[in-house]
Formats: sequence, structure tokens, C-alpha cells
Amino acid sequence: MAIEETNGINTDDNLRRKTVVTSKTRAEADAIFRSIGDGAITTDEFGRITRVNPVAAHLLGLKESELVGFPFFKIITAVSFDGEIMNVIDRPITRAFLTGRPVEGKMIYQTNKGKRVPVSVNASPITLKGKPLGAIEVFRDISLEIEIDRMKSEFISLASHQLRTPLSAIKTYTHMLTDGYMGELNPMQKTSLETIISASNRMNELISTLLNITRIESGTIAVYPKIIKIDETIKEILPELELIATSKQIRLKMQIVGKNSTKIKTDTLIVKEVVTNLVSNSIKYTPDNGQVTIIVRPKKTEIVVEINDTGWGIPNRSHDKIFSKFFRGSNIIKRETSGTGLGLYMVKGLMDTLNGKVWFNSVEGKGTSFFFSLPRVSNKIK
Amino acid sequence: MARILVVEDDKDLNNAYCIILRHQGHEVVEAFDGKEALSKLTDFNPDLVLLDLLMPIMGGLEFLQKWDNAKRRKVKVLIFTNMENSPEIAEAYKLGASRCIIKSWTAPHNLAKVISDTLNNKNNKSESVKSVA
Repeated sequence: MAIEETNGINTDDNLRRKTVVTSKTRAEADAIFRSIGDGAITTDEFGRITRVNPVAAHLLGLKESELVGFPFFKIITAVSFDGEIMNVIDRPITRAFLTGRPVEGKMIYQTNKGKRVPVSVNASPITLKGKPLGAIEVFRDISLEIEIDRMKSEFISLASHQLRTPLSAIKTYTHMLTDGYMGELNPMQKTSLETIISASNRMNELISTLLNITRIESGTIAVYPKIIKIDETIKEILPELELIATSKQIRLKMQIVGKNSTKIKTDTLIVKEVVTNLVSNSIKYTPDNGQVTIIVRPKKTEIVVEINDTGWGIPNRSHDKIFSKFFRGSNIIKRETSGTGLGLYMVKGLMDTLNGKVWFNSVEGKGTSFFFSLPRVSNKIK
Repeated sequence: MARILVVEDDKDLNNAYCIILRHQGHEVVEAFDGKEALSKLTDFNPDLVLLDLLMPIMGGLEFLQKWDNAKRRKVKVLIFTNMENSPEIAEAYKLGASRCIIKSWTAPHNLAKVISDTLNNKNNKSESVKSVA
């Protein structure tokens, strides 16, 4: 019997001890893996499932034996929230393995047996001494989060509807009075009713703004892109803007510079909202007898719209805060008490939604030019 | 002048639209939900339906879904809602609505113009219109 002494312990004992330690470590690692509270799946370098914890099997409605050893991508299809099947190369676990970095994502997992579950995924590469061995993916069911989001949007929509219904009645009946449906009015009665209409319009704008901001912030604003001519869309809202301009003897003009087409694929209603906000802002912050000009500049891949005025301008110290929520220029608060400081914040959010940009140039005492640009076609909006 | 079915659950607004439209010479029948509107379609045979979306018992979208497809195509549907920028508007277009306007922005004289444009096929299938008084 060959006996080799090492520190007083023979090699057989040493080996046995190492084996015991290794088995214990492996059992512990396995227990830790199985105890993870979210679903966890590991794959080898070929994308075959090597381990599955009970939560993952439960979420997917499959037995561990139906998963381990099989290619992950064949057993579980990843579907985006737009309903498109994701390419294997785009899935977080593949990207994590290929890039060597953690990758996150949200998608719907659909098993080969038809079960669908929305999940939030966090995938990381598994490396040993720098060599990639595979990847691990931890995922959790986000059905409840999606449901809460849906309920929140529904609540906003309902609340806005409920606030507007009595307002619509107030406005409609007031209009009926001023339009003479209930008989002739004297000038003082008519002026008083027009004040009610103007106040209802302000309330209505506030509800619209709050509704839009809530939707922008929660990412639930509805976008309906279609091919339009941007100048024609702007012309549709000009009459109502001219009414506001005329009340301050402000000249409102519109011009198109260049011969490129004004066609663009975007959301008409959002464009109208942005232009209405920028132009009514310009009118509001321009002294009587001034001028506001809308200039449409169609370029090759985008359309730039400029709204310039001969107004009070924005002080230099306020330039970096102008798109912040609730911000109002210090020189403006003294002149115009009405205003929420939400308009430009909303415009910025709406432009982000359309994959556009908004910026401005301003000289205090001379005037301001606001610009927005929209891509003719955007991949971000469908 | 046209035959118009006004479908609006708010009694005050329903009454106001009826007064305005009758004043303009239209023949008007009112309904306060989609179910009542469906029951009045056959007898009244309207040229245009002024339709609210959010109503009790049966909403505007369900009304459009339940309306006989062939008959629906012959009638203009003008959606009158306060649900600005909502997915329901897109759904209403899919179900055959001609036009959609936001109630709280629309003054009576604009309502008259929108109705005559819709009946004359102007701006048919157009986007939502924000008409300010």
C-alpha cells in the first residue's frame, strides 16, 4: 500500500475530504439556485437549458424535465408587447452571452405548450476564468404591474371624462345663450357670458394638459401616425389661433420656406396640440400690436417648424429651465398671472413621443423663436 | 335637412344638442345609451348618428359593433366624446365612424358646420378635430 504523508494526513483522506467539500459546495450552490424567489434558468454556450429553478418551471407551467437539456429558444418563444416574435439574437440571454454584459428587457414568454406570461428579464453571462460558459436569466411575472398600469390609464381617462362632462354642459348652454337660442341679450349680459366661456376654455385646457402630462409620464399616450401635409394640418388650427391673436391686435402669419414636400408621417392631433401651445404662448407673451410668424421649413429627412414672435423674450438666466415642470419666466409672472408652467413641459414630452426635438432662441425685450423638428418617418412610432 | 339620432347619456347635453339641431332645421330623435339607440334605428332611419362613446348600459363602441354592418355603412357616424387621445377613438374609426370631435371644445355653431361637412362627405374619415369656440 503506497502511503504518502502530507502534513500528517494521507492523500486518500485528503482526496475524500476535498470530495466531501466539493459535493457540499455543489449542493449548497444548487440549493441557493433553487431558492431564488424569481424564475431562474441557465443555459450552456449552445443555448441549451442546463438548470431550471422551481419558480421558473411554475411560471412557465412546465416540468423541469420538460426544460432541462432542450434549446431555450425552442421551448420558450419571446414575443414583444407589439406582438412580434423576437429574433434569438435580440433576446436578453443571447445578448448577455455575446456581449459579456448584463441585459434587461420586458416581453411575453410563450411556451411550446401555449402558456403566455409577461415577464421582466435580467440576463447575465456566466464566465469561468474569463471563458464564457453560458448565461443565466432571472425573470419575474409582471402581469400585476401591467394590470395596475392599465387600471391607472383607465382611471385617468375616466376622471378626465367625468370632469369634462359638466364643463361641456356649462359651455354649450352658455354658447346657446350668446348665440341667441334663448332670445336677445343686452351687451352686458353677453360680455358676462363670454367671460364664462373663456373661463371654461381655460379649465378645459388645464384638463387637457394634465391628462396629456399624465399619459406622457406613464408612457400611455396614444399615437396614431398617418401621412399628412404638415402645413395643411397647421392651417386647420389657424382660425382659432387668429381669434386669440386678433384680440391683442397681433398679426399672425404663416409661410413655407423652400420647395420640398411638406408630407410627413406623424400624429396630427399631437402636432396640433404642440403648435397650438407654442403659438398661443407666443401670442400671450407678445405685447399688443406685435407679430407672430409660423415658418415651415421642409428638409430632406425632417420638417422644422419655427414660431417666432416680437414678444418680451426669455431672460438668459431662465434658458435652462424653460422646459421644466411648473417653471414660469420671472419677467412673465409680473405681466401674465394666468398660466400653469406646464405648457412647454408638455410640448417637450409630446415631441419626445413623436421622436422629435424642440428648442428655442430668445433675446429678452426683442422676442423668441421656438423650433420643433419632426422626422419624416420615424421607426419609434408605428 | 337631415334626420339625426343623438345618442348621449348626459341629459343636459342631450337636450342642448337636440335644441341646437332642431333650431337648424334637422329632424332629431334622442337616445340615452347604445341599447336605446339600437331600438330606435329601424323606425327612425337616420342620415347621421351623433354618438357619445362612454355611456351606461351600452357604450358607443358596443353600439357600433351590434349595429347591422350593411345598414351602418349607409349612415354617417359622428363621434362626440371627451376622451381626447384615447384608443377608443381609433377603435371607433375601425368600426366605421366618419369623424370624431371633442365635446368640450365644440361650440354650437361649430357643431352645425361639422354636421353639414360630415353629411356632405367633407373631411370624411379625418382625424379628431379640436374645434374651439
